[in-house]
Amino acid sequence: MTSSRPLSRQPFSRQPFSRRGFLGLAAAAAAVPALAACGGGSASKSGGGDAIKFWDMPWGTPAYNDAAKKIVEGYAPTGSNLKASYQIIQWNNFYQTFSSAIASKTGPAVSTGGGFQAFQFEQQGAIAYADKVIDALKKNGQYDDFLPGVLDPFKSDKGYVAVPWQLDMRVMWYRKSLFDKAGVAAPTDWKGILEAGKALKKIGAGGFVTGAGAGNFMGNHLVVQTMVNNGGGVWGTDGQIDVVNDRNIEAIEFLYELYSNGIIDPAAVSYTQDNHDAQWKDKTKGAYGLHVAGLTNRVGDTSGDLQVAPVVSGPHGDKGTLVFPNNIMMYKNTPSQDSSEAFLVAYLGQIKELWKQKQMNALPVFKSITELPEFTSDPNNVKIIKEWQPIAKTFASRGTKLSANTAVLDGGQALTQFAQTVLSGKGDAKTALKAFEDGLKSVVKS
Amino acid sequence: MTTTTDTGLARARRGLAPGGPGRPARNRASRLSSQTTKTYFWLILPSVLLLLLINGYPLVYAAIQATHNGSLIEAGDFVGFANFTEVLASAAFWKAVQFTIVFTIVGVFGSWSVGLGLALLLRTRIPARGFFKVLLLLPWVVPIVVSSTSWNWLVASPGSPTSALFNALGLGTPLFLADPTLAQVTVCVFKVWISFPFMMMMSASALTSVDNTVYEAASMDGATRWQQFTGITLPLTARSTYISWILMTIFCVNDFPTIYLLTGGGPVDATTSLVVYAYRKVFQDFQTGPGVAIAFLMTLTLVIISTILYRQIRKSSVE
Repeated sequence: MTSSRPLSRQPFSRQPFSRRGFLGLAAAAAAVPALAACGGGSASKSGGGDAIKFWDMPWGTPAYNDAAKKIVEGYAPTGSNLKASYQIIQWNNFYQTFSSAIASKTGPAVSTGGGFQAFQFEQQGAIAYADKVIDALKKNGQYDDFLPGVLDPFKSDKGYVAVPWQLDMRVMWYRKSLFDKAGVAAPTDWKGILEAGKALKKIGAGGFVTGAGAGNFMGNHLVVQTMVNNGGGVWGTDGQIDVVNDRNIEAIEFLYELYSNGIIDPAAVSYTQDNHDAQWKDKTKGAYGLHVAGLTNRVGDTSGDLQVAPVVSGPHGDKGTLVFPNNIMMYKNTPSQDSSEAFLVAYLGQIKELWKQKQMNALPVFKSITELPEFTSDPNNVKIIKEWQPIAKTFASRGTKLSANTAVLDGGQALTQFAQTVLSGKGDAKTALKAFEDGLKSVVKS
Repeated sequence: MTTTTDTGLARARRGLAPGGPGRPARNRASRLSSQTTKTYFWLILPSVLLLLLINGYPLVYAAIQATHNGSLIEAGDFVGFANFTEVLASAAFWKAVQFTIVFTIVGVFGSWSVGLGLALLLRTRIPARGFFKVLLLLPWVVPIVVSSTSWNWLVASPGSPTSALFNALGLGTPLFLADPTLAQVTVCVFKVWISFPFMMMMSASALTSVDNTVYEAASMDGATRWQQFTGITLPLTARSTYISWILMTIFCVNDFPTIYLLTGGGPVDATTSLVVYAYRKVFQDFQTGPGVAIAFLMTLTLVIISTILYRQIRKSSVE
């Protein structure tokens, strides 16, 4: 009779295996993942002992990573140097990805990444300085090929924190057909921006396209760029925070003026990147504004109607825009520092292929690449290199040296709150700048 | 035949049909032999150890981070409760607390009201009921990235369909995400929209356990629909309701994507909840200690709220 009862209701002693046996099995099952985790530790050393791990982000076109991977796979090390392996790291939570990997000693030996990431990890003692790479570039002639000023921001007191490989430039764009329709010329000064904005508003076009919604940092860049354009900036020449000054107040008042005249869209404060790009895609809307260098490719409009605007002068004749020199950094956790350096030198020698294949939206750092026919075939590229690159300054402006603090500025709450305050027309310039300065001081390490 | 009205009501409140099984006469634990108790202990031990490893390690590590001034890579120096006091003294923190409370209250009770209403509606004999059930589950099923993109398209710009509709109705052109108050309303409505199917499922499941004979008896006694709802439906589904409130409170307080994908916490921090604030502290301001301290305070608050609601559940069980 007992055997007909469900197994689960049977007393343990009558079940097919004993209690002790079951407990042993359970313990073994529990131990497997734990042991596996312990075992994994030995293989977690960067590079796995036989390759330099190169982590790269999705830059440029969707096919970019395949092209970059091909370069890495084609790298043939000399002597006892190690080969390199390629890994794509997505932008989502990238800082967390890098931090966790570095903390657990499973990170890359060499990587691209966020514009100021190298300085953050340098502060935490994880970065290997690139002085030997710079020496090698001097020997092979590539050092002299750098565009003017692109290397300087990476030189710290202890050495080169990273090596730049592309420039993410902010330039003014305009849609010629809308300016023609409004009967105004592309502005060359702030007064011209205001007048053109009013004329464009009359025809229903966006006289100053921007956005500061979820994940869109263009509004953040706009407020800083406007201050830089007026000879101001976030930092003083000594590298200390200096936000509330006459030039910055004047610059922010100008943005308030654009807002109060309806030239800046009141909904722009909430525009995501998609909303923002949609303004530019709409041939009746996006007429003028700050954007990245590769805007035409980004919004799929290569008709020639969308053009890089002339450089703008501030009321005191100052010129300036923002540039984010993206860079390649090396980490101390590497199976071979010599191999990391050899790989980086070789990789920098091959990156011209990415522009040859038109995989990049950003600008190159090497003069020789700016002379490639594949690059000069786009007149906007030529104009940016000729007119905008010479006046471009980093987030460190008015200072010259980038640091971990610039990372706190870029994308930090203080700047986002400041940009959103200005773009929603709330308050006044001085109050907004003061709040920004206080917010920044509370998070920046002196 | 001997069942009195009081006994019947008490049984009904316990969700038992007339004649159904009552509570066990004796405490089950008292019947367990010590040998069986030991067996249970050893059976449970591996799971408990795994749970401790999975939950305990991050908790301890987070406690270390909350009391140090380091980064994600290094712990830094021990600062005691300085991160907590810094956070509690910050106006931005209390602004985030304020919005979290509003967001949670609207999220919990808004989605519960809509969910319960629809669950009651779906109990009635309406055509294509199965189709509507599936349709109503969609907001819960669709990935949040997709639904937030859709909502963004609906409300983001003055030319968006919803803004255009308001304009056509002569109500002006509201800036649903650019105006701080409207952005708060929009985010709360979005939360209700994505959460009501969960509440609907919970309510529907609770409603199926209520015996129809109770309603029939009440109806025969002359109870109105409203009296049946307040006197039978709500008390008999109370346990499930409290559980769904606990769960939805946790979902709301910890809800990062709903807010972050739609507004990023803006404009000007208007929709920054505690979890968004903590995230921004750690990953945008790189202030790991204060960020983790916020997360700890959130956990503590959730434990207190959950305990209160759990006691409510026990109370309703006793009644």
